[in-house]
Amino acid sequence: MSTISEAIGFNLIVIGPTLVLVATALVLLFCTITIETSEFLKKTITFGGILLTIFSVFLKFGLFLTDGISSYFTEKILLDEFSLFGNVLISLILLFNFSPIWNTSNQLKDKTTEAIILALMSASGFMLMVDSESFMMLFIGLEIGSISLYALAGINRGDLLSNEAALKYFLLGSLASCVLVYGVALAYISLSISGFYDTAIAIPYIGAENVPLTTFIGFLFIIVGLLFKVAAAPFQSWAPDVYQGSPTGYVGYMASVAKVASFLVIARLCIVSLRYVMDNFELFFLAVVIISIFVGSFFATVQSDMKRLIAYSGVIQSGFILSGIVSGVNGTSASLFYITAYTIQLIGIFTIFTIISGKLSSDFSIENLSGLFVENKFLTICFSIFMLGLAGIPLTSGFISKFILITNLWSYESYALVVILMLSTVAGFYFYLRPIWVAAIDKPETPVERITLKRSQILSLSALSFATIYFGLLPNSLINISRWVIQNYL
Amino acid sequence: MSALIYTLMLFPLIGSLVIFMMPKSRSELFRPIAIFLSIIPFGLCMYLFTNSQSKGSFVNIHTIDWIKSYGISLTFGISGMSLLLLFLTAVLMLLSFLSVSKKYSESKGFIGSILVLHFAVNGVFLSGDLLSLFIFFEALLIPMYFLMGIWGGENRKYATIKFIIYTVFGSVFIFIGTVYAGVISYGTTGRLALDFVTLSTLTFTAEQSRVLFLMFTFGFLIKVPIFPLHTWLPDAHVEAPTAGSILLAGVLLKVGAYGILRVSIPFFTEGFLEFKFLIAVLSVIGIIYGAIVAIAQIDIKRLIAYSSVSHMGFVMLGISAGNYLSLEGAIIQMVNHGLTTGALFMLVGFLYERRHTRRISDFGGIKATMPKYAGIFLFCSFASIGLPGLNGFVGEFMILMGSFATYKVLTGIGAFGVVLAAIYMLWAYQRMFTGEISIQENKELVDLDSKEMISVVPLLVLMLFIGIYPSFIEGYVTQDALLISEIIDIFSGRLN
Repeated sequence: MSTISEAIGFNLIVIGPTLVLVATALVLLFCTITIETSEFLKKTITFGGILLTIFSVFLKFGLFLTDGISSYFTEKILLDEFSLFGNVLISLILLFNFSPIWNTSNQLKDKTTEAIILALMSASGFMLMVDSESFMMLFIGLEIGSISLYALAGINRGDLLSNEAALKYFLLGSLASCVLVYGVALAYISLSISGFYDTAIAIPYIGAENVPLTTFIGFLFIIVGLLFKVAAAPFQSWAPDVYQGSPTGYVGYMASVAKVASFLVIARLCIVSLRYVMDNFELFFLAVVIISIFVGSFFATVQSDMKRLIAYSGVIQSGFILSGIVSGVNGTSASLFYITAYTIQLIGIFTIFTIISGKLSSDFSIENLSGLFVENKFLTICFSIFMLGLAGIPLTSGFISKFILITNLWSYESYALVVILMLSTVAGFYFYLRPIWVAAIDKPETPVERITLKRSQILSLSALSFATIYFGLLPNSLINISRWVIQNYL
Repeated sequence: MSALIYTLMLFPLIGSLVIFMMPKSRSELFRPIAIFLSIIPFGLCMYLFTNSQSKGSFVNIHTIDWIKSYGISLTFGISGMSLLLLFLTAVLMLLSFLSVSKKYSESKGFIGSILVLHFAVNGVFLSGDLLSLFIFFEALLIPMYFLMGIWGGENRKYATIKFIIYTVFGSVFIFIGTVYAGVISYGTTGRLALDFVTLSTLTFTAEQSRVLFLMFTFGFLIKVPIFPLHTWLPDAHVEAPTAGSILLAGVLLKVGAYGILRVSIPFFTEGFLEFKFLIAVLSVIGIIYGAIVAIAQIDIKRLIAYSSVSHMGFVMLGISAGNYLSLEGAIIQMVNHGLTTGALFMLVGFLYERRHTRRISDFGGIKATMPKYAGIFLFCSFASIGLPGLNGFVGEFMILMGSFATYKVLTGIGAFGVVLAAIYMLWAYQRMFTGEISIQENKELVDLDSKEMISVVPLLVLMLFIGIYPSFIEGYVTQDALLISEIIDIFSGRLN
């Protein structure tokens, strides 16, 4: 028995976080449908589950220290630096989004725990996605994660916009999944490769110049499927509508978790698998980056809905992150720093939006921000910090991430790209400072009520804004982590 | 020494935190605390004047390892030029706190923003490497955004966004230049060493030098501002609150010229030699254009704003001529312009609080009701025109003397700027102060009270002091000017 499990690489610790998340979701589901359970108990179970997930990530880290990079379950699941980084980030995203998701769910008409269950399930899917060695596992993880997100987008059944968001997200998302799975198939039939390290070994073995065109098309399709998830232009068209239509409390989670997981997979694909043939994809990636920057900057300047604005800003940030990943190994470490900093700011902004909107509204016009300074000064300060971080003002993590990214790009001699990226930040100052103006400077036309914050909200916002400032002043720790992730490929 | 410098830099920041944490009910204490907080940097500057280390050219005082894996460190240091500008900043901060009216002094945000601004400006003048210079240069924008945005005039939104976008557009190029210089330095030293001492040992090719000079100078010239890039300045000056205008004109414009003197010319000299004539031409156009447009203004604050364009044109002319005398004159003129324009904006602010208008035609003959005010205004106007015996003369004379050796025709044209300055300042004085009082409200104007006198008279004393005894201030700029002019001489000798 033990020999068989050893032979197939059976190890529960590797999929520990995923298992804990699924188990929590199932227990919660059971509690909801069978016995009367108090709100407090459900909350405790969920929170305990998330904490247990973080703990099991630690266990996984211990396993990594003894085993090193290795694959399990007949080379389906992979344990390497990328997967650990992704696990930590996803569990933290879940932790910080717990309170917005929970509070928003409480305001639903029939108080359900559906939303948090879906969130737990999607987190487990995305964890599986970053853990996957086999492309099929990648697809399964992506689907588990995405389908939960489609449902999450449409959870507010009475709202037309929410329905629209879910349908649009579902249709376009399934299309992207089809493309991805077709790419997996093409890669398999042309070269019989079915995994990341598989590819990393196979391509140098047959020689980069002997790789058939079909394989390249296959990988291009896989990449396109993933780029859809990170909302890089020209695959961004779903993002603004989905962000706008979905209940505000869920958007921060939806936006950040899919982006983190997909970017880590793209990074692994570029750094590990396609290392020797990246030149063939350079033009494609360059086009995606430049289109993302232009589309994002152009549309973000004319938005009046804050959620759409953040969506388009996400398109720009995707362009930035992608440019680093494509440029090489050092650029990837800069991108990992960037995505961490960006995720922190994104979650912070949506936490604030959730508090302000107060109900399950879908629209979040820039006017909703007016009078924020009167309503709550702490919120305004946090909001300004996050927005300035997105704009990349010095002394925030946004500046450091832009600085190290641009330094890497410049050292790879991508001069034109640097100029384009930097010019987009000028436009960024226009549309990131405008909401601050409305929130902090403009006097509200109608009298506003003060907002009182819960302790958990103050705690999470303080932590997020502290992180934004901290990584702006003392970025060493995060930079070292992001360099640790890519250290083997330098 | 390093403790001294960090105190000078961080004290205003800590002060702003103190202000932000104070209870709102004790708002009457904000101003005394702010005054106390800005006396300390002032005192430190006075102390540094006695320190021989701060008299010379730039010395590194302290280095902090910042981003270790990239080998990036932040360096801070001081030179005579920095010290003068730090002193100017401290004086203007102190006096703007003294002069500020009750409406502003009871607002936490206003006092706090000015203190943060003080921190950032001190950071710029003390920074000893390109990265910290850029960081503080950009950090300046945040307090200015709030100062202009919250407490500005009618059209403040347009002016603020214009100011921000212009500056950020320039600073993007400074940023790329910093990265470029860092990558070049990485090739030689093995780390991203950006401090001024390392940079001065690097050799840039002609191509690199040209590109880097253009990037840095473009960014700084927007801040100066030079002729075609100046259009943000009148709007920003007019819409900013009085204290904001004083600091904008007195300090922030100097940041641009300081950057050119500290970074663009010494490190990228070959680029400078190539483009200096262009800068000189634009400066002279700026001198004449600013002065002519100032003559046509109907708003006194706008008039002073355009006079800034003209005066900063003189500074840039002196810098572009690039010899010892003209450089020294340019640095001195930077200080002078800060003092005179600061005083003029303060005076306009006093008048605006009384009458809530700045149109020149709304006044006339108010010398009768406000004799002290009229006297002080005339004094500052003379200083601005460059009357011998006052500070403006010293700087402009040295600039014109120095520049004449390099650009004879251009300097000849530029000298007309002095004549035009006399026209716009004295004509405005004539229209506002002399003659009969025609408007009823002007008959009830009250003259300056003691608080206002205290806040403006120190500036007059400094103007007179520099005018009579320029050697004192000259002693602090000699080394810097000498070093820069020598570098220019070496490079131009090699090129010829």
